[in-house]
Amino acid sequence: MNQLVIAVTVNGEARRWTVAPGDLLLDVLRREGYWGVKKGCETGECGACAVLLDGAPINSCLMFAAQAEGRNISTIEGVAERDRLDPVQEAFLDHGAVQCGYCTPAMVLVTEALLARSPHPSEAEVREALGGVFCRCTGYKKPVEAVLAAAAARAAPSKPRAAKGAPAKRAAGRKGARR
Amino acid sequence: MFDLLRAFHRPSTVAAALRLFAAERRSGGRGRFVAGGTDLVVAGDRSLRYLVDLSRLPLRYVKRRGGGWAVGATSTMADLEHAAALRALADGILAEAAGTAGSPQIRNMGTVGGNLANASPACDLAPPLLALDASVVIAGRGRRTVPLARFFKGVHRTALDGDLLVEVVIPAPPKTAGGRAAWSFQKLGRLQSDIAVVNAAAGVVVAKDGRCTWARIALGAVAPTPLRARRAEALLVGRPFDRAAIEAAAGRAAQETRPVTDVRATAAYRREMSRVLVARALTECLERAGRSR
Repeated sequence: MNQLVIAVTVNGEARRWTVAPGDLLLDVLRREGYWGVKKGCETGECGACAVLLDGAPINSCLMFAAQAEGRNISTIEGVAERDRLDPVQEAFLDHGAVQCGYCTPAMVLVTEALLARSPHPSEAEVREALGGVFCRCTGYKKPVEAVLAAAAARAAPSKPRAAKGAPAKRAAGRKGARR
Repeated sequence: MFDLLRAFHRPSTVAAALRLFAAERRSGGRGRFVAGGTDLVVAGDRSLRYLVDLSRLPLRYVKRRGGGWAVGATSTMADLEHAAALRALADGILAEAAGTAGSPQIRNMGTVGGNLANASPACDLAPPLLALDASVVIAGRGRRTVPLARFFKGVHRTALDGDLLVEVVIPAPPKTAGGRAAWSFQKLGRLQSDIAVVNAAAGVVVAKDGRCTWARIALGAVAPTPLRARRAEALLVGRPFDRAAIEAAAGRAAQETRPVTDVRATAAYRREMSRVLVARALTECLERAGRSR
């Protein structure tokens, strides 16, 4: 097998990977430890494997790893700053938008891309942006509310809260938040 | 799934891509060009032994050329959806169609060239491009330009024959001579972003006296290839463009389809929906031309 060595940037860090010609980006990301990239349908429909490629959401199950040469990839692992959750992640918790969590990394990433492009999205824009990520636990009402709230929070940033160390307070203090 | 693939070539010029593909072809084994991967990876063909990647080729552009437009083959659906030049062209039907070609992630990956070269009968770009009289530029030994209407040969069969689709050319829209041109794209699917049960595009020029002087009607997912409903177009031209003409043309267009029954719809339903979508498209043209009566 003719292995290929590719240089990519993942969450701002330069990486060199040795991949097989037929390796898909999803499988290489998971092999390299980015387990927040979820394996779902593997046919490009469910969106659980979504990552940002140069800032735009793509389904990593449909891309050959070799095509990622020289590109910037963002996964959920790069969204929080150390132990400080991103406002989008905070909003998903605040609004009870997470159930089993399998689709959540992709939902958060497509939201990041949406808000970067359109800081004040309409509900229709939010639904369109989330439309490529399937949630099979529940509906999309809470994720949509979370994204709209995250957009509002970004417009008027409040003081950031620690992500770790206060789980009890989080569960007790938030409307609708469930662990 | 692609564990038997032994080579993944990443050329940066069209010439190199063609050279690599030809060399691999001579040495035997099956291979393909790949860009967005949204059709190729899903098809999962385990007989493939090599791929020639197109994503580094300088073919990702939308630009004016002469009175018309040139769209590079590796432009994505999202590129078309957002290109200001295309949103302003023909009431935005090409940008609108691109915006329905799958989920946001798929539209960030799937390319114009791939959408056409895959030659799905339900290809969303085909009806608007047929209505716009588009051609494709194919690079192989030399370059040739093929009208899109002659590019599709059957289900997943095209005039490419191992060559490479490098550009889509859209000519200047028809002269209106003081009248109005109006266009419409229609798609029927379970959701807008799903594969079409039927899709359709129409374009008309309505003269100052209310007569239709030029017409295009194109349909997808109702025959082995996307098709122009030429008899329906002929019914419109030279007559007042009104509701009676629209009903007659829509009925004729439905007769020109050759649909199949599959998991998404029966042939009878597709034929009936062809009539409905063509009627909707022409009605929207009528409204856009500002001549409702």
